[in-house]
Formats: sequence, C-alpha cells, structure tokens
Amino acid sequence: MIEALWQYLLAGLIVGAIYALVAAGFVLIYQVTGIINFAQGEFAMIGAMTTASFVQTGQSLPLAAASGVLAAAAIGALCYALAIRPARSRKASSVTMIFITLGLDVALRGAGLFIWGTNPISVDAFSKGTAIHIGSGVLSPQSPWVFGTDLLVFAALYAFFRYSYTGIAVRAAVANPPIASTFGIPLGRFAFWSFVVAAAIGGLGGVVIVPITSGTYDMGLALGLAGFVAAVLGGLDSLPGAALGGFVLGILEKLAGGLIATGWEQGVGFLILVLVLVLRPQGLLGRAARRA
Amino acid sequence: MPSARFASAHTPIAFALVAVVAIVVFIVPSAYAGLLTVIGLYSLITLGLNVFMGYTGQVSLGQAAFYGIGAYAAALLSTRLGISPWFAMLAGASAAATVAYALSFVVLRLRENLLALGTLALGIVVAVIFANWEFVGGTSGIKGIPGFAIGRFTFDVRAYAIFAWLLVACAMFFVANIVRSSYGRALVAIAAGELGAQTLGVSGERLKRQIFVLSAALAGIAGAVYASYVSYIDPSSFGFLLSVQLVLMSVIGGLRTLWGAIVGATVVVGLSHILQSAIPALIAQVQKIVPWFPSAHGDFESFFFGVLLIAMLILVPRGIMGRAESGAVAGVRA
Repeated sequence: MIEALWQYLLAGLIVGAIYALVAAGFVLIYQVTGIINFAQGEFAMIGAMTTASFVQTGQSLPLAAASGVLAAAAIGALCYALAIRPARSRKASSVTMIFITLGLDVALRGAGLFIWGTNPISVDAFSKGTAIHIGSGVLSPQSPWVFGTDLLVFAALYAFFRYSYTGIAVRAAVANPPIASTFGIPLGRFAFWSFVVAAAIGGLGGVVIVPITSGTYDMGLALGLAGFVAAVLGGLDSLPGAALGGFVLGILEKLAGGLIATGWEQGVGFLILVLVLVLRPQGLLGRAARRA
Repeated sequence: MPSARFASAHTPIAFALVAVVAIVVFIVPSAYAGLLTVIGLYSLITLGLNVFMGYTGQVSLGQAAFYGIGAYAAALLSTRLGISPWFAMLAGASAAATVAYALSFVVLRLRENLLALGTLALGIVVAVIFANWEFVGGTSGIKGIPGFAIGRFTFDVRAYAIFAWLLVACAMFFVANIVRSSYGRALVAIAAGELGAQTLGVSGERLKRQIFVLSAALAGIAGAVYASYVSYIDPSSFGFLLSVQLVLMSVIGGLRTLWGAIVGATVVVGLSHILQSAIPALIAQVQKIVPWFPSAHGDFESFFFGVLLIAMLILVPRGIMGRAESGAVAGVRA
C-alpha cells in the first residue's frame, strides 16, 4: 500500500510539473491583462505537436524543440493581434473576453486537427536511459527534463519580476494600470508580451511532456483545464501559487485515479476548483481578489 | 417601430413556425426532419441560456450538464422503472431544475471570470460522473430508451420535429412574457449593476436563482426529448464541447434576444451540417493542385466555429438579432 502511494505521489509530481507550467502562463496573462485565457492549454498542444512532427520527420531534437516553443510563441502573438487587441480596443466586457478566448481554444484545437489529424505521435525520451528508481517508486527517464524545465522557468520568472527594470514596471502596471500609464509604462505592449511569453511557456511544457504522454491534437483541452484548476487553487495572482497549485493538483489527481478509478482524475480537479472558488476564491497563496 | 412590433409578436410567430415545420417535414427527406428536431432542441436550451446570460448578465459554460441531467433522468426512469416518456420528460426537467437550484447557492455567489470557471467545472464534473458511475451505464451509456407515443401512434422523426418546435413555441410564449414584464426589467437591472438594482428593491440573488433554474429546466426538457428521440445516450453527448457550442448559438443569435436563440441554433447546426459535407470535398479539390494540403478529420468544423465566435464578438457583438430586438425590453438598450 505504501509503495503504491509513493508511486502515485511520484507520478503526480510529473504531471503536476506540467500543470504548473500551464498555470504559470495562465497567471501571467491574468495578472497583466485581467483575462482568463481558455486557450492556454492549446499552446502546450502546439509546442508538443510541432516538436513531435519535426522529430518524426528526422530533424534533430534541439531544432525540433526550439521550433515547438517558437511556434507556440508565434501563435500566442497572433492570438493577441487578431483577437484580443481588437476586442479590447472595442472595450469588450470581461464576459466577452471569456467567450473570445474560448473561441481561440476551439479554433486552435480545430487547426491542430486539420494539421496533424487524430493519430497520436510519440517521441523518445530526450536522454537515453532506463527508468529512474527512487525508493520503491519509478520515474520516467524524461522526468529530469520536466523538473529541470520547471525550475528554470520559475527561476527566470522570479528573477525577471524581482530584479529587472521591465519586470518591476510590469508589476507597477498590474498594481495600478492608470497611474502606471501616466508614468509612460506601455500597457498594450506588456499585454502583447504576456501572451507571447505565456504561449512560449505553455509550448515548452508541451515539448517536455510529449515523450511521456505522446501528442494528440486534443491534448490541450485537458492540460488547459488542469492549468486553470492549478492556477485558481494556487491563487490567480501568484506565480509561486501556480507552481504549488500544479503540484498539489497533480498529486491529488493521481491519488484519486489510483485509489478510486482512473476516470475520476479529472473530476477530482474540478471538485477542488468548485470548493476553492466557494471557500477561498483567492486561492492558497493569492491575496484577496483584485478584480471582481 | 416595426422592430418592436416584431419583437412583441413572439407567441403568434413562434406558433406559426410550428405550423411551417409541420408542413416542411412532410416535404423534405427525413434526414432534414431529424436536423429540424435537433435545431428545435438546441433552440430550447439556447433560449434559457439567453435569458440567463443575456438578460441577467451572468455566464454559464456548463449548460450541457443540465441537458445531460434531463436526458439521463428521463432515460433511467423510462428504461428501469417503465415510466411513460411523457412523465419521464417532466421528471427530467424537474431533475435538472432541482440540481440547478441546489447548485445555485454555491455557483451564483461567483461573478464573471470566476462564475465562468465555476460553471465550466460543474459541467465537467457532471460529465465525469456520467462516464464513471456504473449505475448510469458508465461510458457505454443507456440503450433502448422508449420513444414518445400517443395511444397507438409511436413518434416518427417527423413527429419529433413537430413536437420539438411545439416545445420551442411554448417556451417562447413563457419566456417572452417573463422578459416583457416588470420581472424582465428587474433582470436587466441586475445585468446593468447588481448593487444598483438592490438599492431599488430588486433581489438580485433570488432572481438570478429563478432564471438559472428556468434555464436548467428548459435544457432538461430538451435532454429528455433527445434521449427518447435517439433512444441511446452516452456521456460524450453532454460534454464541454456542447457547452461551448451552446454559447456560440447564443452569441451568434444575440445574447439579449429571444429569436436569436432559434437563429443561433439554426446557423450552428446548419453550418455544421454543410461544413461536414462541403469541406472534405473542397479539400479533395485543393489536394489535386497542392498534394501536401492537410485533410479534414473528425469534428474539424470546430475550427470554423472558434473563428466564427471570435469574429461575431468583435464585429457583431449584439448578434444577428440584436438590432431587431433592441426594443424588446421597453426603454432598455443592450
């Protein structure tokens, strides 16, 4: 029993690491623009599928991975330019913005279906090697890549917002947009970059997870939904919260899947979401709601 | 104003539509009668969604759940207990309404972004329960759901189309009276600002709950009729994608409209039907010239629906019927 629990915990950490990346992109966009981006999971799909199809056609792994991240970032930029900015310039309500990102999600998944079809594409682990044993549990040889990416992304985000001039300007813009604007802080440009960076982070998540889950056109839906739950659980305005929320959700899902039945994995996440929204809407690490 | 008169003639026009459907189904092939049935059932759900989202300014990304609850409740009662589909339909509506009532105490405390996430979560949890609860058939669903009958006459596809549109007309009558009353103006007041409405003595919470329950009941009725119509249901018919499609129907027709529900359902179901046959043919032609051009697979039309949803929201945010019905609620503009 203890062995099984330990194994669920390890498996949960792996998926949790990916949820944390998706949640980080989600929090980034929400922080800078106040938009709940339902298309966040699709960026991971684009990263994963681009990488997988490049590897399949014989490209080298670094090139394929870089293309995956770049493709996701480019799509993020397009989403902002073609849908988000026009809607914002027409003073769309927050409900309208929700519908628009929902439309982006559906459109990107449909585009994925056009490009890659319904067959899954699998990729070998980035480094050769056998499964990693920790105690009685087993981890995929891909897992160091996953955890390493998490560490790198969150450290970079932390350093950016803590030490860089631009990062501090973004925080000022988040704290008080009108005042920040009078100081010449370019809110529109920050909104654009929040989409690009969030898409790149999501894409990176897709790139590192694809050897474990293999890639399908519809993988973004589940990842995106888990990312929302993780972000809300951790606190929509907190990047450390996104990381914590991702890992907590991953572990709880695997425990529920293992102890009850696999089908309940997604259900547990959403039960948590409802509970958090009602009992502690600011999440585990968030402050009291900034926006209604 | 002609548009206002058009808007006030909801009930006669709706029942005239039933008559048109009753004639059309005997002219067109039965596949189209089936399409009309589906459009009617989706119109029913979208009508409820329009009142909830358009008039009270709320948002629901989980409306498919109530459709599913209606379908499952009716299917269980008619297959396991042998209850007549007519009573099963009422039970389906009551089940959806009861669940909505219970959940409203939790969900309707949320606003905007969080309400969207909350209703989305709700829709997915319900779909997960259907898929994993062996008592309701799990992923294989429920088979052999009895059809509607009057005396010895068992409903065929034409009868279902007429019945579905009769339900739409009745719902239109009911909802048009609601939104044109002082009650309807109170709903619009909530959408404009709940706090302001409360200072004028409008209880936002109670009204939102009642409309949420109404929209769930309409979805429940549609679900119950659907279950009998197709005689077989499984969890895949009531998931997140349907909830998104319902939002699309609402937005295309116009959120704060009544006819928009029918227009939206017709456009989405019709477009889906056309795309399913036209796009693969078109792509086959393109591939003769550009051999590497990607083929169409599965429910590829979701791409067009996503783009359409975004384009509508940016270019025609009030929907196709938005302008025509702007006089529907006296003195209030969307």
